[in-house]
Amino acid sequence: MPVLAIGGLGVVAVIGAVAAFIITAWIGQPVPVLGFEQTYDQPIDFPHTIHASLEQLDHVAADGSRMEGLGLDCTFCHRTVTTQANAGVPPVSFCATCHQVIGAADNEQINILRDAADIIGDDGTEPVDWKRVHRLPDHVRFVHEPHIRYLTANPSEVKNSTDGVKTGPSGVCSTCHGNVAAMEQVAQVEPLKMGQCVDCHRDNGAPTDCAACHY
Amino acid sequence: MTTAEFGAHNWGMVVDVDKCIGCNACVIACQAENNIPINTQDRVERARTISWIRVERYWEGDFPDAKARFIPIMCQHCENAPCEPVCPVYATYHNAEGLNVQVYNRCVGTRYCANGCPYIVRFFNYWEPVWPESLRNHLNPDVTIRSRGIMEKCSFCVQRIRRTSRTARSEGREIADGEAQTACSSACPTSALNFGNFNDPNSKVSKMKEDKRHYTLLDQFGTDPNVIYLAKIDADKKVGAGEHASHG
Repeated sequence: MPVLAIGGLGVVAVIGAVAAFIITAWIGQPVPVLGFEQTYDQPIDFPHTIHASLEQLDHVAADGSRMEGLGLDCTFCHRTVTTQANAGVPPVSFCATCHQVIGAADNEQINILRDAADIIGDDGTEPVDWKRVHRLPDHVRFVHEPHIRYLTANPSEVKNSTDGVKTGPSGVCSTCHGNVAAMEQVAQVEPLKMGQCVDCHRDNGAPTDCAACHY
Repeated sequence: MTTAEFGAHNWGMVVDVDKCIGCNACVIACQAENNIPINTQDRVERARTISWIRVERYWEGDFPDAKARFIPIMCQHCENAPCEPVCPVYATYHNAEGLNVQVYNRCVGTRYCANGCPYIVRFFNYWEPVWPESLRNHLNPDVTIRSRGIMEKCSFCVQRIRRTSRTARSEGREIADGEAQTACSSACPTSALNFGNFNDPNSKVSKMKEDKRHYTLLDQFGTDPNVIYLAKIDADKKVGAGEHASHG
């Protein structure tokens, strides 16, 4: 019996080690199944809902009415996404174009932005230290431009949707980023692991050569 | 299938040794383009430098009639590569574009490939790469930084090939001859290094490799390289001697 007990402990130890390895590997890159959606508290509570949504929101405007989403296209702010590798985050001066006028003067969150853009305060302009939510490993080269171009031309391949919209730059973004327009705080909803990339590449006749992404 | 699509090319290089002046511009360009760690004195002394392309100097003839010769040597991207079958994890393989690909994230660092390579163009990262703080923002964002314990080598600047084909596809056209250039070939002041597509019979490199001076390095091993060399022309040699410069 003691021999069996030791054997059982060994099996438990091996299973435990394997499980620990798999779980840590998964934590390294989040998988929604295990509840590892990645999200960060940003320096400014930037609500994508107000800017990008097409629907009635729970936010209350200064006059007491419920706000409606502006329905801005993703490319309105993420300007380089259709031409370059990175989607790009706009400079604070771009935000200030609207927000030096729009938004209540006592809105704390917008005032952080106004301070950064030197509209209020006198400490000069400084960039906002946004936290990156969607991050790929360093050995992967992902370029937005061809993906946006292909999905724009083939709306049938668009997964998910942005408030029910599946066309246009905003619609196609949902394939990998989910319905960002419905997120108060952006979180990663797709695993964005290599299996997902390869599945989609295979389905759409894109190269599955290693050197297509790894170099 | 347009030639901007994947697999329509057979990338290769023609090195005109006669034009090489040994200036090492290709070496510097390669180091800058591909995020190669700085070869410090310490690493040189241990013979563990990393240099995807190197200019080898050798002498022909005996003093006082000795002549200095230069030959740039990089990964030959062999069709029958000795490095490929020995890799236990398929981290190196030949792709449809004629490139000998090194997949960094697959590599486990057995170093079999470096032992199999007769050209000594594969390099192992014995240390985590470090750069001085002043150079941190000079790294190329299109190239992976290789960590300690993995093998690396010339990639024919695959990031430049990808960028060129991406541009061509977005503009709905084909890749023009000479549009895709490696860092070394674009830096070469004498056009000794020429990069292009061997699948296109009208490309510059396809025409150059028909030159009767052409040879490949260590031909006896049958590696069938995608880098073709054009032999040095020696004015002192008699015309019709019919021999290639014997390197090796």
